[in-house]
Amino acid sequence: MKAIRGVVLTCDPAVKQILLTMNEKLSFIIEDLDEHHLVIKADEEWRVRRELEAELEKNTYSLE
Amino acid sequence: MENEDYVDVDDNDFAESDTDTSLVPRSATINFSALTRKLEASRKDGDNGDDSSGLPTHRRQQDSLVSHIFQDHDFSWLHLKSDHASRPLWISPEDGHIILEAFSPIAEQAQDFLVAISEPVSRPAFIHEYKLTSYSLYAAVSVGLQTEDIIEVLNRLSKVPVPESITTFIRERTLSYGKVKLVLKHNKYYVESSHPETLQILLKDRVIREARVHSAPVDNSIKASTFTTAKAPVKGNLVISGTKEAEKKKDESASGKGTNGAPTSDKELFTSVVGVESDEIEEDDDTVHSFEIDDTKIDDVKRRCNELEYPMLEEYDFRNDTVNANLDIDLKPSTVIRPYQETSLSKMFGNGRARSGIIVLPCGAGKTLVGITAACTIKKSCLVLCTSSVSVMQWRQQFMQWSNITDRQIAVFTADQKEKFAGESGIVVSTYSMVANTHNRSHESKKMMDFLTSREWGFILLDEVHVVPAAMFRRVVTTIKAHSKLGLTATLVREDDKIADLNYMIGPKLYEANWMDLAAKGHIANVQCAEVWCPMTPEFYREYLREQSRKRMLLYCMNPKKFQACQFLIKYHEDRGDKIIVFSDNVYALEAYAKKLGKLYIHGGTGQVERMRILQHFQHSPEVNTIFLSKVGDTSIDLPEATCLIQISSHFGSRRQEAQRLGRILRAKRRNDEGFNAFFYSLVSKDTQEMFYSTKRQQFLIDQGYAFKVITHLDGMEDMSDLVYKTRDEQIELLSSVLMANESEADLGTDVRANEGDLAGTITSKDFGMPGKFPAVQRTTGSLAALSGGQHMSYVEQNKSANKKLAREAAPRHKLFAKRDKDKAAARKEARAQV
Repeated sequence: MKAIRGVVLTCDPAVKQILLTMNEKLSFIIEDLDEHHLVIKADEEWRVRRELEAELEKNTYSLE
Repeated sequence: MENEDYVDVDDNDFAESDTDTSLVPRSATINFSALTRKLEASRKDGDNGDDSSGLPTHRRQQDSLVSHIFQDHDFSWLHLKSDHASRPLWISPEDGHIILEAFSPIAEQAQDFLVAISEPVSRPAFIHEYKLTSYSLYAAVSVGLQTEDIIEVLNRLSKVPVPESITTFIRERTLSYGKVKLVLKHNKYYVESSHPETLQILLKDRVIREARVHSAPVDNSIKASTFTTAKAPVKGNLVISGTKEAEKKKDESASGKGTNGAPTSDKELFTSVVGVESDEIEEDDDTVHSFEIDDTKIDDVKRRCNELEYPMLEEYDFRNDTVNANLDIDLKPSTVIRPYQETSLSKMFGNGRARSGIIVLPCGAGKTLVGITAACTIKKSCLVLCTSSVSVMQWRQQFMQWSNITDRQIAVFTADQKEKFAGESGIVVSTYSMVANTHNRSHESKKMMDFLTSREWGFILLDEVHVVPAAMFRRVVTTIKAHSKLGLTATLVREDDKIADLNYMIGPKLYEANWMDLAAKGHIANVQCAEVWCPMTPEFYREYLREQSRKRMLLYCMNPKKFQACQFLIKYHEDRGDKIIVFSDNVYALEAYAKKLGKLYIHGGTGQVERMRILQHFQHSPEVNTIFLSKVGDTSIDLPEATCLIQISSHFGSRRQEAQRLGRILRAKRRNDEGFNAFFYSLVSKDTQEMFYSTKRQQFLIDQGYAFKVITHLDGMEDMSDLVYKTRDEQIELLSSVLMANESEADLGTDVRANEGDLAGTITSKDFGMPGKFPAVQRTTGSLAALSGGQHMSYVEQNKSANKKLAREAAPRHKLFAKRDKDKAAARKEARAQV
């Protein structure tokens, strides 16, 4: 079996849920550890972070 | 477009300056790390080179470092006066915004001055923002401030010399003020001016020219010629008195006008001159020029005049109006008006005439009384327009309460009641939609409308002006002829940003109360606002992310953590002795919460009797300290006992609703107790759209100076012994019941049905929509055994509504009334016996 470089993400339960939903579209999660931890593919990390940021930004109101 | 460009620029900046933060571009973000790096570098440079460069160079250096951050708003070229620390304000040279340091020792005087010359934008505790607008300057001039004085005082208060652009702006606006007047004479509108040149300028404008009414029959070619030659006074209705008449005739013959129309129109001209002069007794000027305009185009003309910077003055000299009958109305001697109400009225009647405009006072600060006092000052026939038939009755009742008007003089025009007042003058109270309605009128209401449109009104009072759709407003303003208009509102914000339209349709903002000031003086309660963040449980959030429909809303309302927060806050405040109202727009959530927490609730489906009983218990019983209200409670239910308010679901980002709800506790009975605070909580589910809406909703109140604390964790909530939905199983059970619910359950305010004549979205109705008269019939197939209960299904109601546990019997009648009733019955019996 081929080894995949992974990164452990520590997140709160809500963010974990967002990540799980994103995972359904394009799989990147290697292992779901517990409520607060996920192992994801290392080369997907930046894409995931960016998309997550965009998702969270939707709920922020700015004056502009 | 501009905005987009702006973001683009930012985006590039980010890409260049640092590549590692690939955030979404946010406009106007200050890139601190880059800045510190640059500052660091410059400091090193400075150290290496000779450090005798002195202040100016240093300053220039600093400027170049930071100025790119501010882009267009870089005002570093405005140099501070040497004693700037003791002066409280800045003025932006671009848009006339004034920033005031509210903590400055002379801030109070500065505020008084700024309120007179500008409009408040935002007034939190320490830094206030005001804005110079044309309207505010007109208002300043009309109360007697001189142009140079305004500039002089501004200069004295400003940290920087008043920019050239601002002084010219002030000069221009104050000079053109008052040249043109809009007057109502014999039910016709005239544009009047003592400067014929001004009228000529106005008439060159297409919109105004088209709106002009030509009373004399004139053929087109003549019209054209009179308008193209600038010197030729306008024929027929431009009234010019004796001195200029000869000149005018000469001009007319010079412009070679048609022969057939001339003699008649000249005669008409002459008579109209005479007519006007006899009318205008108090006019000290010898010449007044005017032309008539079409009623239906009145607001186009007004807008156009504003654009041309010849704003029309609408003042009503009611004391010298002998044409319209006086109305004998006065405040009752016992009526006392508060200082700020007096201030607001003094702005309206500043020069002895009634100026049209809008007065903004917080909910619960006595807007109605301001309106009534204005009507009592003008003492002419008055039309009051409100948003719903319920507030019609409230206004009528308030008029009776505060003034000495008799009920024969005050009439009501709604879908059910069409009355006229007795006598020459009186008051009519109606709704916007009754007056603006154009189709399907019954015979009676048509007659009533004819009555309304056929006469001249001294005064028209417009309640809740911010909610009326612009088109409807236009119709009202154009069909009803009134000398002066007063708009009243608590929240001069519109979600559709049509607020500017009100400026020319009614008039400028005359007065806006400072909420914080009123609270400090005890006229309204002190309120602590807080936003409570409730994390979504993983299960709920999972469903929330997958759900795209309206049901998302149901999911974040029914978040078990929110239940817990709500329970905790209720318990905490009940123990403190507070009376609590919990608001939920969503009826499904309302019932679920109230049943789970064992509290009373009222929504549209609650019957009249039950409702009265619940309210009575809330007001008088020490056992009942909490009630749940749906949208029906936003405005119509007055509960001065309430001191704490919790909202669990609300109408998206409506700033108005937020302010209205806050208004429920502003008039708290206990507000004058030592150290009393009312509490306003918004429960928000974290990481959902609710966060977005919640911030948006708060903007209006923030501008009024309220600060929202964010509570991320309620201390001691976990330790509550009977906390609801504590276990995961319970939470999942709740989730499944939410998922089973219909999509329609997620709708907001479904329980309230508007009355005929109510404006959409203004729910002030007390007569809640009962579940439809004819319940929808459903056909289902089922076996006889099942229908008769033979299949051994049994139901137990788990969460019984607390409403049902209330005592069925009505509250015992007071002894006094019971005795009175008995006496009455006895008397009746006796009378019958005698017959």
